[in-house]
Amino acid sequence: MPSAQEYFYLAPEMLLATAGLILLLFGSVGRGLGNREAAGVSLFGLALTGGLLGWLHHSVPDRLFILQGSFVIDGFSFFWKALILVATALTILLSVRFLEEGGYRAAEYYALILLASSGMMFMASGYTLLTIWISLETMALASYILAGYFKHHIRSNEAALKYFILGALSSGIMLYGISLLYGAAGTVQLGILAQKLGDALAAGNMLVPLGWILLACGLFFKVSAVPFHVWTPDVYTGAPTPVTAYLAVASKGASFAILLRIFYEGFGARLEWQWVVAVVAAATMIWGNLAALTQENVKRMLAYSSIAHAGYILLGVLAVSEIGLWSVLYYVLAYTFITMGAFATVILLERKEYAGETCADYAGLAQRSKFLAAMMLVFLLALTGIPPTGGFFGKVYLFAAAVQAGWTWVAVIGVLTSAISLYYYFRIVVYMYLRDSTQSTPVPLRSPALVGVIAFCAIATLVLGLYPEPFIQLAKASLLPAPAGQSISVTPE
Amino acid sequence: MFDWVHNIPILSIVTYVPLVGALCVIFFMKKDQTGLIRKFATGIVVLDFLLSLPLWFAFDRNGIGEKLFQFKESHSWIPSIGVRYEFGIDGIALLLVLLTTLLGVLAFISSWSAIHEREKEYYVFMLLLQTGMLGVFMALDFFLFYVFWEVMLVPMYFLIGIWGGPRKLYAAIKFFLYTLVGSVLMLLGILALYFYNAGGLLGWKGLGNPISFSILQFHDIGHLIPHDLQIWVFLAFFVGFAIKVPMFPFHTWLPDAHVEAPTAGSVILAGVLLKMGTYGFLRFSLPILPDATRAMLPWVAGLAIIGIVYGGLVAMAQKDMKKLVAYSSVSHLGFVMLGIFALNGPGLNGGVLQMINHGLSTGALFLLVGVIYERRHTRLIAEYGGISAVMPVFATVFLIITMSSIGLPALNGFIGEFTILVGAFNRVWWWALFAALGIVLGAAYMLWLYQRVFFGPLTNPENKGLKDLSGRELLYLMPLVILCFVIGIVPGPFFDVIKKPVDYLVEKVDPSLVPSSPPAMSAMPAVPAAGARTGE
Repeated sequence: MPSAQEYFYLAPEMLLATAGLILLLFGSVGRGLGNREAAGVSLFGLALTGGLLGWLHHSVPDRLFILQGSFVIDGFSFFWKALILVATALTILLSVRFLEEGGYRAAEYYALILLASSGMMFMASGYTLLTIWISLETMALASYILAGYFKHHIRSNEAALKYFILGALSSGIMLYGISLLYGAAGTVQLGILAQKLGDALAAGNMLVPLGWILLACGLFFKVSAVPFHVWTPDVYTGAPTPVTAYLAVASKGASFAILLRIFYEGFGARLEWQWVVAVVAAATMIWGNLAALTQENVKRMLAYSSIAHAGYILLGVLAVSEIGLWSVLYYVLAYTFITMGAFATVILLERKEYAGETCADYAGLAQRSKFLAAMMLVFLLALTGIPPTGGFFGKVYLFAAAVQAGWTWVAVIGVLTSAISLYYYFRIVVYMYLRDSTQSTPVPLRSPALVGVIAFCAIATLVLGLYPEPFIQLAKASLLPAPAGQSISVTPE
Repeated sequence: MFDWVHNIPILSIVTYVPLVGALCVIFFMKKDQTGLIRKFATGIVVLDFLLSLPLWFAFDRNGIGEKLFQFKESHSWIPSIGVRYEFGIDGIALLLVLLTTLLGVLAFISSWSAIHEREKEYYVFMLLLQTGMLGVFMALDFFLFYVFWEVMLVPMYFLIGIWGGPRKLYAAIKFFLYTLVGSVLMLLGILALYFYNAGGLLGWKGLGNPISFSILQFHDIGHLIPHDLQIWVFLAFFVGFAIKVPMFPFHTWLPDAHVEAPTAGSVILAGVLLKMGTYGFLRFSLPILPDATRAMLPWVAGLAIIGIVYGGLVAMAQKDMKKLVAYSSVSHLGFVMLGIFALNGPGLNGGVLQMINHGLSTGALFLLVGVIYERRHTRLIAEYGGISAVMPVFATVFLIITMSSIGLPALNGFIGEFTILVGAFNRVWWWALFAALGIVLGAAYMLWLYQRVFFGPLTNPENKGLKDLSGRELLYLMPLVILCFVIGIVPGPFFDVIKKPVDYLVEKVDPSLVPSSPPAMSAMPAVPAAGARTGE
């Protein structure tokens, strides 16, 4: 039996879930909590969780396994948890004004976000396939509801339904893959799995390739890699915009955390998974960027762009090297601020839930609000990967990792599609700066929280580009150990 | 007298003064204070030019080895990946820096009358562009170089896109996309060098040096890089630089960008931006990849020759003055490339000098076209004719610049072209034939242009009331005219500045190893004497 002390290490996750439950309970009793109070409670809960997480990180050794090896506390999990908390806090700040204007009940919304985040934190630390799968479901179920939170809107309903059906399907496929792997290896614990899978594969067990490919399909679905991306544009467009931002950043980030953990620690060296990732990465970059070219709706364009960015991040995953790992961490960090900032700008420009989402609505923005146009320019430059932004630096190192590992052809596809992406990102710039506005009234900067998030994200984006050193150190301190049986600096031929 | 320059980070100061100016404009000036913004921004670039002048005097012409690159600055920037903040210039970069600051001043003054909308943004972007371009020529760290190289695209995009002609959106995004595609491939080349210098990549065992993006470090390992890796990296660099130059067949963005850009944008585009491509070949391809340079020599020279002839022929057929000048740039830059890839003293000397010459004369031509465009709002040659009668001073200046562009002795173009011809002849004699054909074509299209615009009867009634050059216009044209004469009559000081860097390049690329080079090569001294003497 695990001792009580072991449960103590789960304190941050527990605390966050408790905050969510409190919100649920008090939010639905009587008049319930108001929007701002509920947001305040959630932010307070997040701050406490963050503090606890930091303290825990300093007080445990490098790598601590608890609960019979199903849960691990290491630098890697700390990095992702911190990132998830930051992304969640930013999402909550984005949501306040949005919910007020939509007129929906707020407490449940924040409760769902906190519960989803707590699921994500479990994902970052999960060390058996089952822990990971269950925490993934915790996150996913909450996300399905969040996507449909604007229940009077058919687009929001459609988004939730599509997300739910496809998400449930992918979870099922993943679970099936897990069961096959369990059948072949007799364990779901990642550390042992790599060794056992290698042995089973050597013995010609065909369950192994089938199992890991099914599991990988599920993971690719969660990070919205081609060809498992079809849900992304519809869900991102239909969901309330703060939820879209949350899905694009936190949910995608947590999914990359388990993808890295499973591929690096669970599959190990003897499963030749790099080829699959290479093909998926190439397809994702090509299709994500090409499909984004023709989008008129900014949210839909950002959805395809987030697909394309999943492709770039897979370049780093594919490298299986130290550079590959820290460049993924660094890029996700930069991507968090860039994407949050871009969606925050979209939210500020939206009127009445879904209006103001087309490119044409950005016409002449530079004249209507210099601040917003300049901020959006920073985010779009960063998404394209133009210096001096964090997006540039992150991308360079993802490409560097791929080149070093010998995946030059994927890197070439990466740089070329990245150049193509300039076209659709700059369509918005064209509208903002080079076209005249249909209306001349200045855009009111309505919500201080939103403006604060936008400014913060822009500054973070620039700092990450101009002075990346401390953040590289942070990412380097959060690496996974080498995949079993494989030196992490070895380059595949 | 100019020793103090060595004690301050002069290069950083020159680079960032425009940036600081741009920030001041953004934060402290309102958009309706156009007069103030105009004067302040121009003041900033004049200050920047004055700050860059001491470089010319304090530069040690005889510096070799450690002293080849001078005014060095070196600071740690991103230690965990070996990126340093390193600045430094040799003679080639010195000339380009001075060209940039000078053309900046002239372009700013010329904008006073040309730009009347969104002036605040205009001057902000122009100032940012100055910083980006100066950084490109000064960076001695490949990563830093790349940052400036890409940063600079953004303001240029806006300059074309906001203040350009009717097809500005198309031209702006075409310019940006073309250049970006080239530069991302160059980035992969840089990364390949980076990993080869350290741990190795693919099948190539690395050199095991500490990780670094230092350009001088790459210069040192150039001869150690295996042949096949050199070829790949050379191709990656080639796409990046050839698009920028632009070499045939990568030149199609240039006419669009030039025709649509505002006058000042065209001046900077032709005067400075195109030089970044040739500068890239000089700074990176030749010294870092000598094997590949020698191996690819015939192909590059072939494209350069095609560019010379093709650019000239297409220029001849143009109806629009700006487009004509744009295609003449393709031809002239082909000349520069031919000189550089002659890989011998005269060729490189001529190539470098011709870069400056082209910046001066083509910059002046765009300014002149801008002058007449502001008066008539058309650039169609057929709209003009006989205007030397109403604009005698303008006609004179135009004639001088035309002659400079054609390569008339006593003007700068002659020195550059002649030196390049010597170099090309010494490499492969029939290259010089094609190059000479380019000169003939150049004379034809420029003189024909001059004849159609200035001579003959003044038929178009709208041209009767044209005003001659104003004082301000003379002010920004005169420096170029004077420099054309100075370089044409006393080219010595300019050759002195680039002598050591050219020697260094010749030593690095070692043309004696070029396969099947004509025997005359080895007898050719690697000094620029030929061109210099002829000019005097």
